[in-house]
Amino acid sequence: MTASELSIVRPSGRTRGLRLLGVLRQLARRPEGVVGVVILAFFGSLAIAPELFVGPLQTAVTADGPRLSPPTDGFPLGTDELRRNMVNLTVHGARVSMAIGLLATVITVFIGALIGIVSGFVGGRVDAFLMRITDFFLVIPTFVLALILTPIIRELVGSGSQQLFGIRMTLIVIVVVIGITSWSSTARIIRSQTLSLKERAFVDRARVIGAGSGHIMTNHILPNVVNLIVANTVLVFAGAVLTETTLSFVGLGDPFQPSWGQILEAARSVGAPGLGAWWYFAPPGVCIVLVVFAFTLVGAALDDILNPRRRSRR
Amino acid sequence: MGSSFLARRLATAGITILLIVVVNFILFRAMPGSPERVILRGTPNVTQERLEAARERWGLNDPVFPDQFVAFLGATATGDLGFSFVARGQTVSAVLAQRIWPTVILFGLGEVVAIVLGLALGAYSGWRRGGPVDYVGNGVSLVLYSTPYFLLGMVLLLVFATGLGWFPTFGMLTAGATYASFTDRIVDFLAHLALPLATVSLGLVGQYAIVMRSSIIETLSDDYITTARGMGLRDGRILRHHALPNAMLPTVTLIAINLGYVVAGAITVEVVFNWPGLGTLAVEALTARDYPVLQGVFLLLSVSVVLANLLADLVYGVLDPRVRT
Amino acid sequence: MTVTTAAERRARARPRLAVEGAPLLEVENLTTHFRLDSGVVRAVDGVSFRLDEGEALGIAGESGCGKTTTALSLIRLLPANARIVDGTVKLFGIDLVAKSDNALRRYRWREISIVFQGAMNALNPVHRLREQIAEPLVQRLNVSPREARRRAGELLELVGIPKKRGSAYPHELSGGMRQRAMIAMALACDPAIVIGDEPTTALDVMVQAQILELLEDLRHKLGLSLILITHDLSVIAETCDRVLIMYAGKVAEEGTVHEVFRRPRHPYTQKLLSAFPNIHADRRTLDVIPGSPPDLRNPPPGCRFAPRCPFAMAVCTEVVPPETTFDGVRVACHLYPAGSDGAPVTVPTADAIAAGGARP
Repeated sequence: MTASELSIVRPSGRTRGLRLLGVLRQLARRPEGVVGVVILAFFGSLAIAPELFVGPLQTAVTADGPRLSPPTDGFPLGTDELRRNMVNLTVHGARVSMAIGLLATVITVFIGALIGIVSGFVGGRVDAFLMRITDFFLVIPTFVLALILTPIIRELVGSGSQQLFGIRMTLIVIVVVIGITSWSSTARIIRSQTLSLKERAFVDRARVIGAGSGHIMTNHILPNVVNLIVANTVLVFAGAVLTETTLSFVGLGDPFQPSWGQILEAARSVGAPGLGAWWYFAPPGVCIVLVVFAFTLVGAALDDILNPRRRSRR
Repeated sequence: MGSSFLARRLATAGITILLIVVVNFILFRAMPGSPERVILRGTPNVTQERLEAARERWGLNDPVFPDQFVAFLGATATGDLGFSFVARGQTVSAVLAQRIWPTVILFGLGEVVAIVLGLALGAYSGWRRGGPVDYVGNGVSLVLYSTPYFLLGMVLLLVFATGLGWFPTFGMLTAGATYASFTDRIVDFLAHLALPLATVSLGLVGQYAIVMRSSIIETLSDDYITTARGMGLRDGRILRHHALPNAMLPTVTLIAINLGYVVAGAITVEVVFNWPGLGTLAVEALTARDYPVLQGVFLLLSVSVVLANLLADLVYGVLDPRVRT
Repeated sequence: MTVTTAAERRARARPRLAVEGAPLLEVENLTTHFRLDSGVVRAVDGVSFRLDEGEALGIAGESGCGKTTTALSLIRLLPANARIVDGTVKLFGIDLVAKSDNALRRYRWREISIVFQGAMNALNPVHRLREQIAEPLVQRLNVSPREARRRAGELLELVGIPKKRGSAYPHELSGGMRQRAMIAMALACDPAIVIGDEPTTALDVMVQAQILELLEDLRHKLGLSLILITHDLSVIAETCDRVLIMYAGKVAEEGTVHEVFRRPRHPYTQKLLSAFPNIHADRRTLDVIPGSPPDLRNPPPGCRFAPRCPFAMAVCTEVVPPETTFDGVRVACHLYPAGSDGAPVTVPTADAIAAGGARP
C-alpha cells in the first residue's frame, strides 16, 4: 500500500469525519463487510451491558441449575459443574473477552504506531535500534513470553480485588502483557507507510516552513497513516481476543471474572470433552470463532477498500 | 549462495538468541523472592551453608552487571539452567530433556503434514480457480483460521474419541499398559498421536492453503507463464516447473512468520490431549510456579523458533536467487 | 544448431499436414472477442492478412487497437475470457483455429514462437538463462538435456550473449540482454515465424537499435519470417517489408512499407505518419489526432474511425468500408470504394479540417 492510494489530508476534524463515513458506506456495500459488522455489533451490545440480557453473573452461590446438565427447560445451553446457566456465563464472558481485547488493542496499537512512526520518520540509528527490538518480538514466540510474564507481574503487583474499567487487576495484568508483546507487526506496517510518506513533497514543504519533527509527525504523518492504523486495529483486536483466550485456557484467567477462554479452561479441567459435555465448551467456542471470523472479514474488507490496487487484475 | 547472505543471517540469529538469554536473565532477577531461594527451592535440606554456597556459585554476591550476567550466560551456554522447584533435585535440563521428544514428534509431523496438504490443496484451488473445491476450501480455511487450536482439539476429542470411540482421549500411551510386542507399542502410540496430530495439522492447513492459493493465482498472471504456454508446454509442466517454484516463496515466508504463533497453539493442543510434551510441562510449571522450568521452556522454545526461522530463511535463499546477491 | 539459410529453410521439412503450395501464413477474417462483466469487447473484428516466407510484416496502431490480440490469436495464447469466434489462421494451409487445444500445442514454438517485451517477468526469475532456453529443446524436441544445454549456449552466442552468461539469472541481466535472451529462446525450435510483441518498447534508444539490428541479421541468416507488433512506426520503417495498420480492431491499411509510408491512403495512416515528428521539417506543433479510440464493447456503426476523421462523409457513419486493393496497397476506407484506382473520391471540407475531424 503506497501513499499515493491515500488522499493527503490536512488535519481537519471535519475532513477526517467525512472520510470515515465514506469508508463505512463502502463497507456496507460488501457482503463480507456487512456480515462482519453485524456479528460484531451483536457481540458488542452483549459486551457493553450483559446484565441487561441475562442479569448479574451467576456464582457458585447464586447458581440454581442442575449440575453439568445438557440443555433442558430454562437452561437452553445447559449448565456447568457449579450449576451455573451457560447462557449467563457466555454472555458475561463476552464482556470480559471483548473488554480485555479492546484494552489490549489500545495499548498494542499505541505502542506499535508510536514506534512505527518515530522509527520510520527519524530513521538512522534510532530506526535501526527500534527495528532490532521489533524484529526480536516478531521472531520469538511471544505467547510463551506472556506466559512467563503474567504470573511474575501478578505476584509483583499483588492480588487485590481492585478493578479498572470494571475489570479485575488480575486480568488487567493480562491486558498489559498482551499489549507489550503484540505491537511488533503493527510497528512494522506503520513504519513502512511512514517511510513512503516521508518522501512526499508535503513533508518537505512543512520542513521548509520550519516545522519541527514532532509537529510533522503528529500533524502530517499521523493523519495519513490513520487509515492504515484503523485497518490494522481490527486485525489486532482479533489477535488480542485469541491471545487472551489462549492465556486463559492455560490457566491464567480469572475464575471470578470468566472470559470465554476461562470457561473453556474450566470445561477442560472438568473433563468436558471426555465426558461428552459439549454444551460446556460449544457456546464460548462458537462465540470466539464468530467474533474472530467477523473481525477477519471486516479487516479484509477494510484492506480491500483502503488498498484498491490489490483487487485489480489485468 | 553468497557468503555474506549466510553470514548476515547467522549473525542476526546469533544476536536474537543473545537477546533471548538477556530477557531470561532479567526475568531471573525480576522473579519474586530472592534468587537463591528460587534456585534452591526444589532441593531438600537447605541449610545456611548451602544457601551461602549457592550464592557464591551463582555469583549473587557479585555485581549484577557484568559479572552476574556473564556467569548466567556461561551457565546457560553449558546447559546449566538451574533446578526445578517441583521435580525435587532434578535439573531443569533433565526435566526438559524428558519432555522434548513428544513435542518434536507432534509438532514436527504436524507441520510436515500441514505443509504437504496445504500446498497441494492451495495449488489445486488456485489452478482451478472458482471451482466448487475452491469455494468450499476457502470457506473452510477461513473458519479454521478463526478457531483456536485447542478448541479444534476439544471438538475432535469429543467427536472421535468420546463420541465414536475411535481414539483414546488422552496421553501418549495407555497408562499402565504392557505390550506384547514393539509393534503393539507403536500402534498404541500412533492411536494416541492421531487426534492431536490432526488438530495441529488442521489448524495450519487452512492458512497454508489460502496463502498458496493466492500465491498461485498471482503467479499465473505473470508473463513467464504466458511464455511457457506459448512454448506449447503441457499444463502440468507449467504448474510444476514454472508456477510452483515461484508461488512457494510467499508460503515459505508465511511458514517462518507463523512459527511463533504455532508454538502457542501446540502448547494448548498438548494440554487438551494431555500429551506429555513441553506444552503440558509449561502449563504444569505455570500452575506450580516452577519458574526455573518455565524459563527453561521459554529459552528452549524461543531458540528453536529462531533456528527454525533461520532455516526457513536459508531455504528461501535457495528457492529465490534474487535475494542471494 | 546449424544455422539455416533462407534457401535451406524452404527445403526443410514442413509440418506433416502442410498443404502443398500454400503460403506461409494466411489469416482470413480473424475475429476475437473478450468477455467482460460489462459486455463483450470486439477486440479483433475481421482482420485478414498474409505473410510469405522470409517476409517481415509490421503491425502498427494505437494501444488497444487489437494488434497484440491479433498476434496472440495466431497461436491462441489468449486469456481465459477471450475467444476466437470467427475466421481462419492457415499456417502452411493448416487451419489452426479449427484445431483443438492439444493439437494446436504442437505448433506452438516449433512453427510460431513469440518474443514478449523483455520486462522483468517475461523470463522466469528462479531459473537460469541456459535452462530456460534449453527447456523448449528438451520438452518439445526431445533433445537430451546435455545436448540442449550445448545448443542453448550456441543460441546465446547467436544473439550476442557470451555463452558463460548462460548461468545467470534474469535479474542479473540488463534489459537489452534479457531481450536478446528472449530472442534466443524464441529461436530454439527453429520456428518458421517469430512474432515480436513490442520487442523494443521497454528499451532505451541505443539498445533498441541493437536489437533491431540483431533481428534483421537473424532474419537474413536464418531465413526467418517476422511479425513485428509495435506502435512505433520508425521501428517498422526500419525493419519491415510490409506494414499492416490497425484501428479499433480492424485493418485500416496494408501494403509495402515503402508505399504506405510514402503515400498513406487511409486518413488514420496519414494522421499517424504526420503525428510522427520529422527531424528535417520545419518546427511546428505536433499534429495530434483529436478524440480517442471507440469503446469496443459498442463500436460505432460504419467506419470506426469516422468520429475522428477529417474526411468523414455521410456514408462513413452508416456502412462499414469494404477493403479495396490497388497499387499494391489494401485500404478499408470509403474514400476508396470497391474498384477504386487509387484516387480518393473527395477532399476534406474546410469545416472538417477546422473541426479537426472531431465528432460529438
